[in-house]
Order: sequence, then structure tokens, then C-alpha cells
Amino acid sequence: MVRVDELTKVYRSRRERVVAVDHVSFEVGVGEVVGLLGPNGAGKTTTIKSLCTLVRPTSGSIAIGGDDVLRHPRRALKRIAAVLEGNRNIYWRLSPRENMEFFSGLQGLPTRQVRPLIEELLERFRLGAKADTSARKLSRGMQQKLAVACALIKQTDVLLLDEPTLGLDVETSYELREALKGMAHNDGRTILLSTHDMNVVQDVCDRVVIIHEGKVVTDDKVANLLDVFRARAYRFVLEGRLDDKTCRHLDSSFDLLTLHHTDHRSEIEVEFLESTMLYRLMDVLRESGAVIESIDRQDPNLEEIFLSIVRGNH
Amino acid sequence: MATLIMIKAMFKRYAIELRRYWFNTLSMLVSFYLIFILMFYGIQSLAEGTAQFGGALNGMVVGFMVFYLTVYAYAELSWVLVGEASQGTLEQLSMSPLGFGRVLIARIFVALIFRMAIMFLLLLLMMWTTGRWLHFDLLTVIPLLLFTMASVQGIGFVMGGLALVFKQVQAALGILQFLFVGLIAAPIEQFPVLKLLPLSWGTRLIGDSMINGTRLWNIPTSDLLIVGGTGIGYFAAGFVVFKFLEHMARDRGLLGHY
Repeated sequence: MVRVDELTKVYRSRRERVVAVDHVSFEVGVGEVVGLLGPNGAGKTTTIKSLCTLVRPTSGSIAIGGDDVLRHPRRALKRIAAVLEGNRNIYWRLSPRENMEFFSGLQGLPTRQVRPLIEELLERFRLGAKADTSARKLSRGMQQKLAVACALIKQTDVLLLDEPTLGLDVETSYELREALKGMAHNDGRTILLSTHDMNVVQDVCDRVVIIHEGKVVTDDKVANLLDVFRARAYRFVLEGRLDDKTCRHLDSSFDLLTLHHTDHRSEIEVEFLESTMLYRLMDVLRESGAVIESIDRQDPNLEEIFLSIVRGNH
Repeated sequence: MATLIMIKAMFKRYAIELRRYWFNTLSMLVSFYLIFILMFYGIQSLAEGTAQFGGALNGMVVGFMVFYLTVYAYAELSWVLVGEASQGTLEQLSMSPLGFGRVLIARIFVALIFRMAIMFLLLLLMMWTTGRWLHFDLLTVIPLLLFTMASVQGIGFVMGGLALVFKQVQAALGILQFLFVGLIAAPIEQFPVLKLLPLSWGTRLIGDSMINGTRLWNIPTSDLLIVGGTGIGYFAAGFVVFKFLEHMARDRGLLGHY
């Protein structure tokens, strides 16, 4: 449904040249939810804005449902809806119902035709009781849900969301995540979302594309990433306190190793980039005479995986 | 059809905002009326009893009406763009599959219709205040006003494009407003070429219609062609400049920024 090919965006000014996005390529299939991750300034927003024609790429191509966004932007825009500014993407002077009517009109859809959908969305996002209240009087969470509802009223195949849960409380964030899952899995909508909230990614996304310094550094299914990192991370618990010489040896031999000591035991958290490193660690421990109490394979969360990837520790 | 639906949505939103924020609407009407009253008594104190008094009053009413519409026709787009960008909704407007340009044209067209309706109300008040009832042939005045304002909107498009790229254009908007006083009062009789300026010739024809009762079909075709040509020409030229500046804004990633 969405195909981004060698997308590059260079911002030029008299003083500097900034490569915001550097030959980024990825695809999002029909009904797939893909998370676009990356630290601040990585190029996520530029990528999303290029997809919805708000930023003109320097080179590369973008296709939505086969329509070239650069050559036929209006045709592509019939397939895209986006929430880019969260609760600011709506008219605060209008009520939720009026907002949805306006945005459907902006899409060229007659109010009569979308009225049943408006009622359904008001229900789905639990906005029914406030349907005729000015949006400025709604809570931030309600405004954010309304922004998503206004995007949905456009009845497009693709939904682009920039930080959809930013600033939301736990309950509203959960509600929105459930709604996003429903949109993808029940309605078959294709969703590309950028977020810093790893809970959202782990909960909602099928796949993640991680961008760092304008380049794609990872494009994989969330489940695969968790599996890969699960196989690499271990936690050793040792009886007694490790001697200083062994600690220094471990520190110098393994990059991704953390040591914790208590009076009666030592703990080693380590991530192996190659399986042979596990044997090397075992050798060091055996030579030092350490007694291993337990070895656990750790379940890393997506946040740790993300940090590991963008720091180049993979 | 889709464009008509979009225009209808714009109308509805505009009407809701005018009604919901009635105090703002009312204060706008009152402030314009007060300015007019001040000007009226100023002219009365200076020219009452002279042979020119009646003509000066008629001219003032027409000039004030045209100036009111001109200020809005010219600055509306910049206000819309800056306002929508600061609200965070400009990106949504620019993502309409009907095209950003078409959406903005619809937006300023809707605003012009509402402004004209408000202006008619003001006009009635002004005529009642001065006691001088002008001719108001809708079939003549409305087409002349639409083409005359189209030329001003052309300049408005240039300013709107600059607002997209540079964001803060309020100072330039305020200063350039005075240019329109000059255009309204341009010495066309001495320099007929000035008919080709935006606003100038259209204002004269509107004045002639309202003061002397000239009907559309009594106006020479060449004069109508000048008003129509300058209206369409300046509007089209302004729109081309706007599209260029919009392209620049998209290229620099500035669309929607405030």
C-alpha cells in the first residue's frame, strides 16, 4: 500500500546543508501497522510529511496504492489521512460533530453520506456526550481522539499518525491503542505511526522501521526483534562477590556487560553479539573459580532494543 | 460536485464561527460604523453648505464601502494562513485531495460573500445616517465588486504566499493597506493608463453606478473588459506567484510551521 523508495531530503540554507532523510526505503502492506521509530531529529517527521506531500523530497519516490505522490499528489491524497499535530489538528471553535462534518467536506464527501459514520466514530471514541460541545472545552485526550476521528471520517486507506499518544493519560492512551488495533485488524486500514512510546509500538505495531541520522537502521517485525534480542541477553547470578581482577577482566573483554554486587552475590547482565562470546564468558568465570547460581535469558523490552540499535550496539 | 461540497462546508464553518463568536462579529460592525461616523461628521464640519457637500458624502460612502471590502479581500488570505498555521490546521487544509489552491480560493470566496453581506448591512446604516440613499442595483454592483475585489485578492495571494514562507507579514500587510487608498483615488481622468491598476477603475464604475444609477448594460463594453481583465489578470498573476511560494514552502518544509 505504501512504498517509499530511496527517499532523500536535504534542507539547504546559505549557511548549512542538512540531510534530514538519507535514501530511506520501506514498504507498508495493506492492513499493516508499522511504527516509525528514531531519536529526535532522526528524520521521522520529514518522512511522514513527505508521504503526505507537505515536504517535497530532494530525490526518491513515494507511492500510495500505486499512485506516485510527487507526480499525482491529489490522487495520492485521496488515500491518505494524517494526524500530525495531535490535538491541534482540529478546529477548537467547532464541536466534534461540526469538525467531522467540515473535514469530510474538505475531502469532497457530502455530510448526508458521512452522517452514520460520524455517529459511529463518536460512539467508538466515546465522544457522544460531548458531540455538540466546542472542542476547546474538551480534555486533551478527547481532542486527540477527535483528531483521529477527523482523520478517519475521510475514509482513506492509509492513516499517518505522528506521536498519537503524546501527552495522553494511561487510560486514554489505552483506548486509543485499542482503537488503532481495531482500525488495522477489523477495518483493514494501513497505519504508519511515529512515536517515542515503546508501549504503543509493542502493543499496536506489526513491524518497526527504525531511523537514525536519516537512515533506516532496522526494518523488522516487532516479534522478530524481541526474539533476536531475547536470545542475546543473559543474566548470571554468582555466589559470593567476584574478585577485582576478574571484574576488570570482564569489563575489558565484553562491551555490553554490566556488573552488580551485593555482599553475598554478584550479578552480570550481558548481551552477546556472537554466540561464542557466551563460552568465553563461561571460561573467564570458571578460571576465576566463581560459582554460578543461575543463568537466565533476559526478555528485553522494545525500549532497550531501540536504544541498543540506535547506539550501534547490535 | 466535490468542490461544491467543500465550498458548502466552508460556508457552514464560517457561519458557525460568526454566530458562535457573535461579540467579535458585532464589535467589528460597530467599530467600522464608528469610524464612518467620525469621518462623516468630519466632512460635515468642513464642507457643509458648500456645493460639493453632497458629492463628497456620496463619494465617502462608496469609498468607505469599497475600502472596507478591499482591506479584507487583500489581507484575508494571509490572516487565514497565519491563523490556520498557528492553530495547527493548515496542514489539514493543504492535504485536501481537491487541491490546496482550490481550498484557499474557496475559503476567500466564502469570506468575500460574508464580508459583502456584512458590508450591505453597514451600507444601509451609513445611508440611514447620512440621509443620502444611493442606487443599489445588485446586477450591476455585485459583478463589478467581484471583479474589482478579484484584482485585490491577486495581491492578497502574493502576501499569502509570503506568509507561508516568512510567517510574519503583519507589518507589511498593515503598511501596504495605505496603497489601496491611493489606488481607489488614482487620478484616472488625467492618466487613463491607471485604469489598468487593480481596484482603480472598478471603484469608479461602482461609484458611478451607486451615485448616478448607471446600469451594467449602460457601461461601455471596453470599460467592463478593463474591469474584468484586470480582475482576472491580477488574480491569476497573484495565484501563480502564490503557487511558486507554496512550492518553496514545501521544499523548505515550512508548510504548517508557525
